[in-house]
Amino acid sequence: MSLDFLVGFTIFMLALIMVVSMVPGLLVGLQSSGIDYDAVAYRTGVILAEDPGWPVYPPWEMKTDAYKDEIERMGLAASKETPNILLSTKVDAFFNSFFTADDYRSKAIFGDIPYSYNFSLRSEDYNYATGDPLPPGYGYIRRAVKIKEPGVANISYNSSFNETTLDPSEPRVFTVRLDFSQLLDPSVGPAYRIDPRTEPVNITITEFGRYLNATASAENATLRDVTFWKMDPTVPMPRFTRIPFSYNTEDPDLYTLSLDGNSSDLKPNAPVNSSISLVLKPVATSIFTLDQNSVLDIRFTFDDGVPQRTFMNGTYLYDYDNVTIADLKPAVLEVAIW
Amino acid sequence: MVNDRGQLYTMEGVAAGVIMLLTAYIVVSTTSVYTAGDTHIPDMQLEQLGSDVLAMMDTPDRDGKESQLVGFVKMGTGGGNDLRDAFLNNSRMRAGDPDNDLHAQVFLSYRRSDGSVNTTELSPPSDPGFTGRENAVRVTRWVQLDGNPSGIPGLGYSPRPRAVLVEVLLWRA
Repeated sequence: MSLDFLVGFTIFMLALIMVVSMVPGLLVGLQSSGIDYDAVAYRTGVILAEDPGWPVYPPWEMKTDAYKDEIERMGLAASKETPNILLSTKVDAFFNSFFTADDYRSKAIFGDIPYSYNFSLRSEDYNYATGDPLPPGYGYIRRAVKIKEPGVANISYNSSFNETTLDPSEPRVFTVRLDFSQLLDPSVGPAYRIDPRTEPVNITITEFGRYLNATASAENATLRDVTFWKMDPTVPMPRFTRIPFSYNTEDPDLYTLSLDGNSSDLKPNAPVNSSISLVLKPVATSIFTLDQNSVLDIRFTFDDGVPQRTFMNGTYLYDYDNVTIADLKPAVLEVAIW
Repeated sequence: MVNDRGQLYTMEGVAAGVIMLLTAYIVVSTTSVYTAGDTHIPDMQLEQLGSDVLAMMDTPDRDGKESQLVGFVKMGTGGGNDLRDAFLNNSRMRAGDPDNDLHAQVFLSYRRSDGSVNTTELSPPSDPGFTGRENAVRVTRWVQLDGNPSGIPGLGYSPRPRAVLVEVLLWRA
């Protein structure tokens, strides 16, 4: 074997090795960063549109700034059974809150590198966006979704709540009753369910003036207090017990009470003549430690002594027959990552 | 037994090797193969969007109410472009200007009374630019109907719950 052949063959082998090692470079298109961004955007879109997030009960959207580290994943879906049906409370919390860019990265994007992002939600009623302006070459996904909004109990004049035959000295108690076993009945799909554990309870009493005692020429009546009572029907001899709560403290994170448009705490002892509006937030409901069998009473007590100035009395059932449930709203969720 | 000729051969070999290396380097560095991996991303995005839109149109806005998609399918060919327009409205919605590049064509497949499967265009007239050769993605959804809607020709079985297939071709132009 000659030396020429050895040298030539060695060079040939070197060339062959170099060519072989260059072959993976042919597929460099598969590794382009654009594709990587698209994949991350897709994954983030799936988490936001199809996952309710973690923890579920109490849901992550109730966590305040101080407890946001307990949130593991921010998903917007109403439940894991209803992909693309987003809960308005989760949407509000996701876009309108204290989350920093790092929070979005660690609880929604889950990337190894600090991606930049832009999330937006658009519909006729919603126009949310968070993140930086879009540069060229970003990864993108668009998801068509629907938004579920909480129901509202609009209580106008109803003669069955206008009890004129009561004892004139008896305080009037108007009760709004939430029977959780009925509300959380699995026969109603999660997309249409009234769940006070995840959505606010809205009670709006209008036309209050028509409940006033006309014979006493009353122009208003005094709402002494609003109290919460609960009952567990599964225990022997069930009865309602008053829930300990900071009734004297106004806290918009827990509830809002408005009398004729003026906000108040739950012991207003103030006159009202046209409307009462109470929004009980899910954070408050979670403090009440209610389960799927509980019955929650919200009692509005009116007391003016003798004669009472209102006849509003009775029990209103906060259920699927009485509560106005808004239609699901079509929207589009966009995720851009770069 | 080394002489001048051997050295010449060696130099020739070295030169040939260098030329081979250069050629290989130039060929590999100038050739780019457009792999299928690059094309599937926009397709996947369109397919996901179309699939989402069909699913949302098939979700009733209220418990117990009929979904928008069922309403359109019941109208059958009599519904004209309503289904396509509603589908495109939902697909084009985005932050900023609507995505007006999207086009769609809707077909309905169902079993007729003679047992054959009929596929009919549900959105006549066709999109003016529709040639059938578009680089379109296909999204489908089974829709459940309670009876025999009059708008669907040849659905001659006795009225009973049935499933029909809505197929949408979605493309950018």
